[in-house]
Amino acid sequence: MIDTVASEWMKLRTVRSTLALFASVVVALASGALISYLMTADHDRSSPAERELFGAADPSTVVIPYAQICAGVVGALCIASEHGTGMIRSVLTAVPRRAEVLAAKAVVVGAVSLLFGLVTALACAVSTLLITGGRPAPIAPFASFADALPAVFAGAASVAVVGLVGLGLGALVRSSAGALMGVSVLLFVLPVVANLLPHPWNVRGAALTLPYLVPQLSGDVEGAPLTPLGAAAVAAGYLVLFLGAGGAALLRRDA
Amino acid sequence: MIDVRELTKRYGATRAVDGLSFQVRPGHVTGFLGPNGAGKSTTMRAVLGLDAPTSGEALVNGRRYATIRRPAFVVGALLDAGAAHGGRTALNHLRCLGRSNGIGRARAEEVLGQVGLSGVADRRVRSLSLGMRQRLGIAVALLGDPAVLLFDEPVNGLDPEGVRWIRDLLRSLAAQGRTVLVSSHLMSEMALTADRVIVIGRGRLILESSVRELADRHRRDVLVRSPRAADLADALVRAGAEVDVEHDGLVVRGLDTGRIAEVAAQRSVPVHELTPRGASLEDAYLELTGDTTEHRDSGRTS
Repeated sequence: MIDTVASEWMKLRTVRSTLALFASVVVALASGALISYLMTADHDRSSPAERELFGAADPSTVVIPYAQICAGVVGALCIASEHGTGMIRSVLTAVPRRAEVLAAKAVVVGAVSLLFGLVTALACAVSTLLITGGRPAPIAPFASFADALPAVFAGAASVAVVGLVGLGLGALVRSSAGALMGVSVLLFVLPVVANLLPHPWNVRGAALTLPYLVPQLSGDVEGAPLTPLGAAAVAAGYLVLFLGAGGAALLRRDA
Repeated sequence: MIDVRELTKRYGATRAVDGLSFQVRPGHVTGFLGPNGAGKSTTMRAVLGLDAPTSGEALVNGRRYATIRRPAFVVGALLDAGAAHGGRTALNHLRCLGRSNGIGRARAEEVLGQVGLSGVADRRVRSLSLGMRQRLGIAVALLGDPAVLLFDEPVNGLDPEGVRWIRDLLRSLAAQGRTVLVSSHLMSEMALTADRVIVIGRGRLILESSVRELADRHRRDVLVRSPRAADLADALVRAGAEVDVEHDGLVVRGLDTGRIAEVAAQRSVPVHELTPRGASLEDAYLELTGDTTEHRDSGRTS
């Protein structure tokens, strides 16, 4: 198993797309920080009454969803591109225990995207503190670094979950385009569709979608349908569902 | 040793492989022949555990492939030249696959040298020619120095120099006592490379034989040239042969070269040429596979 994990790790880092995707988050981070900076500058020029109407100048609202897509794409490509190129046959010839192959991929994608999510979320928190430092809520989402930690961990965990869901989808549909389509549906289409449902199903439905799990996971939303523990359970449900379906496809179908 | 037993693989209503049984023994190059779509690749994928048989089994050294730990040391396979991620470099491709079996960088570089690709180690797979990708696939098969090797259409896309290289490689691997199974749809290629042939058509076994037996079985006639052709023809007919005149020589059936020479010597007829003519293996192969096709077609319509 250790050799298989080492092989998967080597495979992930020897294709350019992985690094390119992870590096592209820097652009998202810079844009998010710029928006936060402009918001804060506007805030500082406004009257005290107007200041109460500002949202939080938190780049993570832009950057974490972007990081989720990146991780989802990395996860999906890590197996779908092997099906697309025929590499999967070489891989399964080298390691015929298919469950082990998927488990090794999950370890690598999970660990790498968790680390990537953590770095990204920390960068968001630090830039928020630097930009909004010394200002009160609501423009500053948190008063100190310690207050930011639940959001950082929730953001990082969500990136890892989407990475693994992408892997499961890739194993299931075997096509890069199809898997990326699936990731997009989960991240962008389902939340919109859920919000169109009649009340109260719109709130309940949306609460179950991946983007809305992040604030519920950190407990940052008052009166959220899910407790942090509940949100964690739903996230685990996503993993079981998609990795399970992907695993079943890999084990059952001819390569 | 590869042991295929009553292997059947159905895709929907089509039987790609239909009750196929054969053994591949060490020390020979065994050619696995059949027209396109005969079931060669499916059989090889079943041996490697990539396709699950509908029924029957395919064993390597008596074991199912999936139960082999670190299979790179037991079985090496070239499936298709495209079985690589185009964005990875040639060396990294080998290192990634080797790593899962505990094979390190040094060995990856060694096999890359063995297939003559050291110069392109750092080039991406997608930038390699088809012939180079075939060589890379062969390098993958050789990574663990396995005793059993399967090559699916290895000469596809190779230039003449590459074809000769692979022929020599296959023969030397077999000479080292390895089990070598090579699929091809070209009998002419296998006639030069293989010691034994397994011929299949429509998923069924047509023939399992040595290349020499196959050639002998399809030996047709002997071409004889003599300045006294008419005398010789007369004597040969009396000795029991069937003789035709073909522009400048005699075409003799029913007697081998030895008997013909003896008859000529008895009559003191000078002989300028005595050439046994086999049907080419290509002809033998077409005859064999053509027969099954016709037979099965007529079976269907009746």
